[in-house]
Amino acid sequence: MIDVFQILNYFFGIFSSDMMDIPLIAPIVDYLMQIPLLNILVALILWKPFFAVVIMPGLVVLTLYLLYIVWYERKLTARVQWRVGPLEVARPIRGAIQALADGIRYFFQEAIVHREAHRPYYIQLPILAFIPVLLPILFIPAGSAVGIYTPYSIQLIVTFIALIPITIVAIGWASNSRFAYIGSVREAFMYFAYEVPFIIAVISMVFLYGSGDAYVAVEKQSAIPGALLNPIAFIVYIIAMLMATSRLPFEIPEADQEIAFGPFVEYSGILFGLVMVLAYEKLYIMTLLFTILFLGGWSGIYCPLLGDLNGPLWLFIKSIVVISILVIVRSIYARYRLDQALRIGWTSMLTLSIIALIIGGAVGVWLS
Amino acid sequence: MEEYAIDIPVEPPKELRSLFIPIPPDYVEDVYKSDDFLVLVGPQHPGSGHMRLIVRVKGDIIQEVIPDPGYVHRSMEKLAENRLYIQNIPLVERPAIMDAPNFNLGYIRAIEEALDIEVPERAKYIRTMLAELGRVGTHLYDAAILAVFMGHTTGFMYPFGLRELICEALVRVTGARFTSSFIIPGGVRRDVDDSTFKWIYDMTLAMERRLKSFERIFVKNPTVIARLKDVGVLTKEEAIKYGVVGPFLRASGVEYDVRKVEPYEVYDELAWDMPVSDAGDGYSRLLVRVNEVGQSLSVVRQCIKQMPEGRVISDQIAEKGEDIRGSFYDSLYDLVLPSGEYTTLTEGARGTIIYSIISDGESNVPYRVRIVTPGWLYLRGFMESMKGERLADLQAIYGSFGYFPPEADR
Repeated sequence: MIDVFQILNYFFGIFSSDMMDIPLIAPIVDYLMQIPLLNILVALILWKPFFAVVIMPGLVVLTLYLLYIVWYERKLTARVQWRVGPLEVARPIRGAIQALADGIRYFFQEAIVHREAHRPYYIQLPILAFIPVLLPILFIPAGSAVGIYTPYSIQLIVTFIALIPITIVAIGWASNSRFAYIGSVREAFMYFAYEVPFIIAVISMVFLYGSGDAYVAVEKQSAIPGALLNPIAFIVYIIAMLMATSRLPFEIPEADQEIAFGPFVEYSGILFGLVMVLAYEKLYIMTLLFTILFLGGWSGIYCPLLGDLNGPLWLFIKSIVVISILVIVRSIYARYRLDQALRIGWTSMLTLSIIALIIGGAVGVWLS
Repeated sequence: MEEYAIDIPVEPPKELRSLFIPIPPDYVEDVYKSDDFLVLVGPQHPGSGHMRLIVRVKGDIIQEVIPDPGYVHRSMEKLAENRLYIQNIPLVERPAIMDAPNFNLGYIRAIEEALDIEVPERAKYIRTMLAELGRVGTHLYDAAILAVFMGHTTGFMYPFGLRELICEALVRVTGARFTSSFIIPGGVRRDVDDSTFKWIYDMTLAMERRLKSFERIFVKNPTVIARLKDVGVLTKEEAIKYGVVGPFLRASGVEYDVRKVEPYEVYDELAWDMPVSDAGDGYSRLLVRVNEVGQSLSVVRQCIKQMPEGRVISDQIAEKGEDIRGSFYDSLYDLVLPSGEYTTLTEGARGTIIYSIISDGESNVPYRVRIVTPGWLYLRGFMESMKGERLADLQAIYGSFGYFPPEADR
């Protein structure tokens, strides 16, 4: 018994040494900390690495974001198109829990595995696809809250983002269907088209800040945001983000009318629910990196009542604003053809990203 | 680019033998031996409509497209042989839903030509107005389908929203949203009052304003231009050779419109232009129809402005001062056409509609009714225009032709 208490105390010591300091809820936390066993739970939740990965900007907020963005995108598109959009689920709040209702429906629906599918991979891959989506969150710092601190965080985030298309290609392969196959090939083509300019754009910002450390990047943007320091890289990043997350006008791997949702055509039930939100999750991760690189990250008006929560909250708010603006392209543009998108990726975007690299180097010298 | 042949024996998939495909088995073997691939698009594909397209592709490039139409064949010509002439009116306007007034008009004009019925002026103007409303509705419908084929959902919703105005106008005039059977031998069913005309006049103005926002977001959209420009090109010679009709012929630079060449109803008394383009690609096919919508709305306004007073049904059908309402069946059930063949050309929204009624001169049902719809006429040109394009362009070309399988299959 003594061992168990010792271990618990040891953990409590670790957790309570590095806790989020939020004056707003400090009285409640102080009260809860006096209760044995419950205090270790509270300390765990408020432990900075845990808070960053699981609460904000990690899993919990990611789930809330998914519920919000699916509804918001549908509502915005509907408003542009002289329609009403989701309404019947919870009328008083204008159908805001539509995504939740859909999720519950997916959960209780039969997940059909067709005969031609490669069964183990077909079922595993939607779940495995979460790994490269969630790993970058470990390294994304939000103020003082960070999962794992490393001076190479930006490079690591980019690396894990680059892993996501591999799972999508594998999903298409495991589906073993014509449309899924064409969809995977298109995804692979698009992957090469956006990945090179995207990585060069990020490298140009790393040159500019002189470090791959997100803290250094945010500190150097205290006067001028990165979007103004290197506007070319900003543009390239936005276009690459649209391409990477299969948004119109680059919704080529999932083109409904041509290949019927591409790699995900055979999925149903909760498995479809999982693969459907993949692109949204990728958008979230890329927007967090975008905010850190170009929009001053978690810096914002400091509210003393929130204390350490200021950083994650500002990062989250900025990301949500960026995403909410980005989703409007869906109602503006038609879909490019694959070869046109590849041409854009390999000519104009590549050229722009190399110009951005030169600007990044020049401004980097000026800043340092 | 140089090709490298890999010497691997290729077996055609077994499904291609067991499925019913209207191509010889040798063709399938030939395709697979020459390193090509057969893609069956449809009939359950989101981008094919109720038809199957057998596409022979080399890599991503379409070599040949063989259509497999007939999935929505309704045997209209045979059905028409067993019905009274007036019972055929609701039947023959069914092929194209939105374009019903034009289909209706062509059939009625063939009957009137046979019986030498003089149609009152007011009825002619009302008929012209209805035909143009149907044309606008069809063009909007086709533009919407084109938009959704290219993934532009706003371009899909706007025309369908605008089309509601057309439907509302048809409801106020005829009582039905479409397929109203309003045009009958000798005139139209009912007179239309001035407040309805006023409403339609205002509606055309309101629609022109809203069409501007549609043009801003869809027609002038750079992604739409990139997808449609220089895609599915039909030159002037090809278009004539393959017998393309309607706005698609005019998009290839041929100035042919039945309304200009052989004017019927009151088209020769109204001022309107024939939009023509020389490019012959998918984008010009869209532009010609967008411009035609503007012209049609102008024609509708002119019809309402110049609408003469008088009867809407010919004296030969209904007694003077009488209304056809209440005595419709009594007046028209015993129509017997003199023996002979009566053919009319009508410019429908998607092209020339040919109606040919053959009568034996003694029975009260037609001996034969031949309906040639524009969809069927331009199917060949549609298939030829896809050669040499990419597989992803198939939907864009499909949409740019506004192909409507129920209309082509009849």
